[in-house]
Amino acid sequence: MIMTGQHISAKPGALKNMAALALDVGLFISEFRLCDTIAEYLADLLAQSHEDPARCANFSSLLINEIIELAFRSAIPVGRIDFNLLRNEALVRASVAFSYDRNNRAAWSSFDRSADSSGQHPAHHLMMLAQAIGVSLDIEIDGDDRVTLIADFLPREAVR
Amino acid sequence: MSRQTSSFSAEFNEINQEIVLSGRMRPRSVQEIASVINMVRRSLAESGSTAYVNVKRLTHMNMTAFRCLAEVLKSACEQKPQRMIVVVTSSVIAWSAPLFQTLASTQPNLSVEIYDSAFYPEQTFVEDESFIPILRTQTKMTWRHEREILPRHGLRDGLTIADICCGIGDFATLIKRQFNPTRLVALDHSKKSLEYARRVAAEFGLNSIEYTYGDASQMLLADNQFDFVTCRHSLQIWTYEQVAKLFSHFDMDVEMGPKSRRLLNDAGFDAIKVESFMVTNLDGDPQDFADVIEAWETVYAGQMAVRRGDTPDFIRRFRQGFKDHVLAALHPKGYAGWPIWAASGRKPY
Repeated sequence: MIMTGQHISAKPGALKNMAALALDVGLFISEFRLCDTIAEYLADLLAQSHEDPARCANFSSLLINEIIELAFRSAIPVGRIDFNLLRNEALVRASVAFSYDRNNRAAWSSFDRSADSSGQHPAHHLMMLAQAIGVSLDIEIDGDDRVTLIADFLPREAVR
Repeated sequence: MSRQTSSFSAEFNEINQEIVLSGRMRPRSVQEIASVINMVRRSLAESGSTAYVNVKRLTHMNMTAFRCLAEVLKSACEQKPQRMIVVVTSSVIAWSAPLFQTLASTQPNLSVEIYDSAFYPEQTFVEDESFIPILRTQTKMTWRHEREILPRHGLRDGLTIADICCGIGDFATLIKRQFNPTRLVALDHSKKSLEYARRVAAEFGLNSIEYTYGDASQMLLADNQFDFVTCRHSLQIWTYEQVAKLFSHFDMDVEMGPKSRRLLNDAGFDAIKVESFMVTNLDGDPQDFADVIEAWETVYAGQMAVRRGDTPDFIRRFRQGFKDHVLAALHPKGYAGWPIWAASGRKPY
């Protein structure tokens, strides 16, 4: 399932790896401070190609941090959590993938526009934030109760 | 360098009716910021017809903090519908205004103000493209002194450098070529000047200069990452009384040069050095010097004084001072000078 805020079409095949970080989920959720640390790290990397790296990093870290905080609150302490940055000429994509509690499958899978307005979906506030600052956000859920949160940043246009 | 997820300050200025939140506000839970939220709630309850929530230096925030603050603001708006709440943001922080605007769109008595959208009235004068050749001539005249002076203040090859208020970036390009810094960040509050600076740097193949938008009081650069920080021709040093008064009208202090030693002391710097040098009509082509003075006349007497509402008679006399200066610069036996102060200090470890 894909939920889209303001989707920017980009062929996945056209995206190239920029950075990847994998952590044991148990380690990750043991320390809240890691959310901020990882968000700043990824935002700094993401902003390298922007004409104004400092300002772009500040802007993108807002949403990346929120994605990571959602993962912090939702991930089960099993397996690993993956952080990825990919890029093509049009955008830089930040994604975070983790396994959620299967008891919450209904909540994660129940998203639609009306559910969004009710505020019950785990990513409700994240979607609101993405829309407020004009960044495209997707959520992909696979059959193994693993979710991938995806934010697409336009490297040149996001911060003017 | 370690960073704290929440390292912020919050205070209420009763006189200005202003709540100031600054720093990084990324709490894990609402309880972590309960004391701040209570302070905001109390302050709003005590405020008069207009209250200000100043977040222009709140550089980081998570939705836990935002939602909590939003609830307090909404509640305050509903409790006193006649009272205005103004959230003051900065254009430097790109997410701030759009995020708080979502809140303002639901509350008729809450608005968002971007404080620096009209904070630098003099900025438009120097952004005028016709002024660029003059700025470049100025730098050409001062650089021959600066390249000698800067090493005395600690600049050497291979440092990490920030140039604050870089303008059109000409000084940054000269620093890059002369001192080969390992990293050079150049910051200015004029997007137009930054665009020009990027273009010029690209033309010279100097692609490693990082130009960034910000102002001297709001930078998104982490602390303690630079070996050497420059800020030139932004703390102008003028001895003309009328110019000082004119600049004062535009909230500028042109007497920063003589004050620099005390200011650096007060800021806690050590190893303070202050010196001055004189750019003169004898340094190079006197016409260059005259061109600069004439450009100043156009900006200060022709534009700023007019905008201030000075009388034609005052402007005529004001112009005459510049014309006398030009006359001295171009006269075969004349001597005209532009005194410049150079001050530096070392931030204690």
